[in-house]
Amino acid sequence: MVTVQRAIEMLGIPTVLITVEPEESAQARPPRALYPRGFIAGHSLGRPKDEALQKWILMDTLELLLADPQPGEVVTRDYS
Amino acid sequence: MEKALELSRYCVPFTPFKRRLEESLICLVSTAGVRARTDPPFNLEGDNSFKRIDSTLEAAQLAVDDSHYDHGCIDQDVNCVFPVDRLRSLAREGRVAGVTPEHFSMGFSQALRELRDTTVPQLARAVSAARPDAVLLTGG
Repeated sequence: MVTVQRAIEMLGIPTVLITVEPEESAQARPPRALYPRGFIAGHSLGRPKDEALQKWILMDTLELLLADPQPGEVVTRDYS
Repeated sequence: MEKALELSRYCVPFTPFKRRLEESLICLVSTAGVRARTDPPFNLEGDNSFKRIDSTLEAAQLAVDDSHYDHGCIDQDVNCVFPVDRLRSLAREGRVAGVTPEHFSMGFSQALRELRDTTVPQLARAVSAARPDAVLLTGG
């Protein structure tokens, strides 16, 4: 996933990743990434039909575009 | 001729984001094997293609082809990994300007060299051609 992200970023488009495999993602050095702590594959944005939670995670992820750059790092947040 | 230099893993590409989210078009890109229900499925054994997804489709009109984790939740709500409805909702609220006409997804593949040399560059160019102001990526 980070390979795709880095390729898009290299074309001059800002990118941000939601990952549920933070260690693997961090090793690949993403331009920007968020890990919702404890979330697993199939639940990058949380529970099904939980619109409020999904939008919260989505906005937090998009807001990483506005945050101080931490290229190569995965930012961890809690949503429980 | 010498081979072109490759970006080291230790070097992180970084494009500054200089807009406001409220004036930005967002494109979704995933490796979760997402597609329109009306499109042929990804090959679960390995698939090096990527698919374009009409961004007017709702989550209920999308499917996910994958055999590596429990799909109980995605089958109820594709927004769990590909938040098309939530992004449209943010656009209605004016928190982002909108979405690109198409989103994109790859499927599962272990043919890493072909992915790196062919699929990923093609996908990145297709994403760029959709003229997003920012791209949101999801895995599974």
